[in-house]
Amino acid sequence: MIRFLAKRLLHGLAVLWVVVTLTFVLLRILPGGPFDSERRLPPEIMANIQAKYHLDEPWLKQYARYLAGVAQGDLGPSYKYIDRTVSDIIKDTLPTSTLLGVLALVFAVVLAFPLAVAAAAYHNRWADRGCVFLATLGISLPHFLLGAALIWVFSLKLGWFQAARWGSPDSAVLPTITLGAMPCAYFTYLLRSSLLETLGEDFIRTARAKGLKEPFVLFKHAVRNSLIPVLTLLGPLFATLVAGSFVVEYVFAIPGMGRFFISAVTDRDYPLITGVTLVYTAILVCANLLVDMCYSLVDPRIRVR
Amino acid sequence: MNLTLVFLFRKGRLRPVFALLILLIFSGCNPFSRGGDDKVFRVNLSTEPPSLDWSLATDHASFNVIANLMVGLADFDKSLKPVPIVAKSWNVLERGRRIVFHLRDDLTWSDGKKVTAEDFEYSWKRLLDPKTASQYAYILFDIVNAEEFNQGKLADADQVGVKATDERTLEVRLKHPAPYFLSIATFEVTYPQRRDVIEKHGTKWTDPENIVTNGPFLLASWKHENEIQLKANPNFFLGKPAIETVEMYMITEKTTSLALYEQGKLDFLDNYSIPTLEKPRLSKGPGFRRVPQLRGEYYGFAVDRKPFDDVRVRKAFAMAIDRSVFPRILHGGEQPATSWIPPGMLAHNPKIGLTYNPPEARRLLREAGYPEGKGFPRVTVSYNTLEHHKLVAEAIQGMWQRNLGVVVQLENQDWKVYLKKLETDPPPVFRSGWGADYPDPDNFMKLFTSLSGNNHGRWKSPRYDELLEEAAREMSEKKRIRLYDEAQKILCETEVAIMPLFVVVESTVLNPRFTGLEYNSMSRMVLRHVRPKKVSSEK
Amino acid sequence: MKLFQRLAGEFRRNRLLTASLAFIALVTLAGFLAPLISPYSPGGFEEQRLLEVPSAAHWLGTDELGRDVLTRILYGARVSIAVGLGTALIALLIGTFYGLVSGYAGGALDSFLMRVVDIFYGLPDLLIFVLLSLFLGRNITGVLIALGLITWVRFARITRGQVLQAKELIYVEGARAIGASHVRILLRHILPNIFAPLLVTLTFSIPAAILSESTLSFIGLGINDPYNAWGTSWGTLAQDGWRAMRTYPHLIFFPALAIFLTILAFNFLGNGLRDILDPKRN
Repeated sequence: MIRFLAKRLLHGLAVLWVVVTLTFVLLRILPGGPFDSERRLPPEIMANIQAKYHLDEPWLKQYARYLAGVAQGDLGPSYKYIDRTVSDIIKDTLPTSTLLGVLALVFAVVLAFPLAVAAAAYHNRWADRGCVFLATLGISLPHFLLGAALIWVFSLKLGWFQAARWGSPDSAVLPTITLGAMPCAYFTYLLRSSLLETLGEDFIRTARAKGLKEPFVLFKHAVRNSLIPVLTLLGPLFATLVAGSFVVEYVFAIPGMGRFFISAVTDRDYPLITGVTLVYTAILVCANLLVDMCYSLVDPRIRVR
Repeated sequence: MNLTLVFLFRKGRLRPVFALLILLIFSGCNPFSRGGDDKVFRVNLSTEPPSLDWSLATDHASFNVIANLMVGLADFDKSLKPVPIVAKSWNVLERGRRIVFHLRDDLTWSDGKKVTAEDFEYSWKRLLDPKTASQYAYILFDIVNAEEFNQGKLADADQVGVKATDERTLEVRLKHPAPYFLSIATFEVTYPQRRDVIEKHGTKWTDPENIVTNGPFLLASWKHENEIQLKANPNFFLGKPAIETVEMYMITEKTTSLALYEQGKLDFLDNYSIPTLEKPRLSKGPGFRRVPQLRGEYYGFAVDRKPFDDVRVRKAFAMAIDRSVFPRILHGGEQPATSWIPPGMLAHNPKIGLTYNPPEARRLLREAGYPEGKGFPRVTVSYNTLEHHKLVAEAIQGMWQRNLGVVVQLENQDWKVYLKKLETDPPPVFRSGWGADYPDPDNFMKLFTSLSGNNHGRWKSPRYDELLEEAAREMSEKKRIRLYDEAQKILCETEVAIMPLFVVVESTVLNPRFTGLEYNSMSRMVLRHVRPKKVSSEK
Repeated sequence: MKLFQRLAGEFRRNRLLTASLAFIALVTLAGFLAPLISPYSPGGFEEQRLLEVPSAAHWLGTDELGRDVLTRILYGARVSIAVGLGTALIALLIGTFYGLVSGYAGGALDSFLMRVVDIFYGLPDLLIFVLLSLFLGRNITGVLIALGLITWVRFARITRGQVLQAKELIYVEGARAIGASHVRILLRHILPNIFAPLLVTLTFSIPAAILSESTLSFIGLGINDPYNAWGTSWGTLAQDGWRAMRTYPHLIFFPALAIFLTILAFNFLGNGLRDILDPKRN
């Protein structure tokens, strides 16, 4: 187990390193620099700024400087948010993104669970069809359309929830639903088919033959055994929910991290982009590692390779 | 077995999560929101201010916060003339080469200390210090030795021509007379700073717990990417503002901020928070205002290459544009313009420039060797990717096709890619614009001098350079107007280095419960006179 | 082929499936025939009819430059469908080839190739999009390349997994024992085995690509090149509409409906195919 962990960790670090390097290089070959603006700066002022951020050094030296910083946990200064470091910005925004991700995930699981169980219990009847239909609707709606529709109905027409101003409880409802709808649909699908599969297995038949009541069979035996595929999905999904909620962050003005994938690139804020990419990849790597570990703990048949 | 989840379910560990969710859903249904308070004023700032350090800030969000936290030597009156504020008076000596500012003695910082002339000297030298690497350092380059100090050619800051001769006197020596220098003294980057605070806290000095300011509001909290809160300064020397609290939100999506405004959860939206197509509807409602800006949009030509090296071609293209179309497609009340200096600025002259005249345009194009556009080379018009630039480009493309028989290609690029392109390889026709740093024509006209970094079309006119140089040193307004008139004629009429298109007009909406908000022609939002319209609310 | 007969049979029985397929065919046809069936021209600037609500002359209204919304949606159909199909095919070709090689070769090459896939997974999709859109411009080629780059890894992983399973099958081992060439084994014995899961993945990646493109357009990175007959996707239309949602709801409603129904139809199709092709079902 420890060898496996060490190997995976090393592997994860390698992925991180390649991702950082790739981002570093791609950004620098992109035309346009961080301090180009409508007011073109006099060359001597540009020189001062470049000197301040060591942008006048050769790339390789900049790269070495950056890696050395990262190794010590310093992600560098932000070029755009002049008084803040990238670590500051991530510290400010990552908790918000995480909270939103958790809320969406909880919403998804809580809603998907009864839907899937109902669908499996009434397989091939109207409840099943209805649930599958709903889930298909859920994965067919782009975030921004769902967000727009929710704002239209609940903010503008009914006035129940705020469209933005993150911080008050009623501002979290619409983004949570918007972000959670798609994972919810996936969970419903997955849990339903997993349940159906389990229900067909021998031990369920045994349980039924023993005369156990159907709800008991369903919950006690089937549900418990059908959660593995859902668990597998949970890890990567959480990573994408945390970092990939950019559209939701834009629409509902949520002070999260996802928006920097766009704004920091258009601003050419090199350290900020590399920083958020690093964090995203790290979350993804960790989430996958965690899932794999749970996996091998839960089911010893799955060999750790 | 599936240990983790089984464990969670059996022990009821997921119950708090359910409870939280239910609480969340129900708390939303019951609108106990904070709206309807006369003491709280809520505006949308659109984005996180990149910096509240006024030596480093460069953008309108930052300046809009700073302008409400601080006051400087001078301020603008309604007609954008500099009037004293921290200074109680000033003397312009030695025919404009020496300016002495006399400071008030009743003005204090938020920590109780007096605002002194040294605070200005420190701030200005900090702005110029190469280590600060301020983008706006050049704004003070008219001061003796300032440029040399900024370039690192001169290490001794004491030789820079700004000095606090005593606690309340600031003396500035200029390299040459600069009639616009008092306007520069209104600009946020020249506001005073506290050496002790900055040296103690470093880059964190702008955090709410560290910052020391002298203006009508105090920085109470700053939740990054989300909300800034200002509190009225009870000791402000012009009196405590009527509004107790200002909440500034950072909502980027215009549709979202408009939704909040219409829900009554925001009290003020500026042009950056109003979707273009909603302007006509809002303009019929209360609280809507249009504010012409000191900001012009133009199309420039790459004059060093065919076909636009021929002035007749440039004239033809300029005369084939019906500028009255712009307000109809942009919905903001844009003011069509044929000359470059915008209204509200000295030497604005609407009579200069080439007006819409299709027959004359066709004649010129024929003369240049392209009758009815025949044989005209394939030409690209470039702009940076933004909705309203696209609309303008499409409309102009249509007009050139109709009036000249020339079909141009349109091309749009990401902003920074576009800037790089303007710098290295300017497209034959390109879109650009300029907004005033300070309201003096020098700031607008200097763009097109031979050595200007913003002269993307690489147009060169020795006469134009001469006129600009002379006007920048001339103290008499009458003479300056004459000089700028001649320069504008060269720029927009005889040489047509650029085609001015329109002057930008910004739209704002203010909740009718409030009054007194000033929004000026340089996108600055002044909140200190905001007050509720009625003394008591109906509740 | 037996598979297609079975599919045909299923389609005859399942009305939802048939309806979905018919809808997709209709949208595709409408998109590719747009120049013939559109009532107006997709570009231009008509000052006299800016921002009209739906009427007899303009069934779905007009936009801020006076262009007919129905016409723009018809032209948008071809862009969105082309993006969906194109991305799926690019990803299928690259991913399947990659996965076949990786899985069949095994050993060090396999490990190396899978590390590359891991890196692609590790990069945020959005970053790839933003960077590529800046390098390649906001046109259909750029978006196809960007989406293809993100989608192919999924095919690669699935193919590899299936190849690993298929390699263990008795008849493959048999074929190897009698000395069949690698290419022959891959084409004759392994590929048919993984056909069904690939078909399902393919069907699901089409709506995913359409959805991604519309999301990209929404944040200002999608296809936006209105002078090109292949230049305005539904996502761009919906984004323009979102900006005017309060006053002119028709500008967002119709493009949104088009996006939603098309993705829905593809998803129903994918679901149906998966159920039919599920080996456990028989």
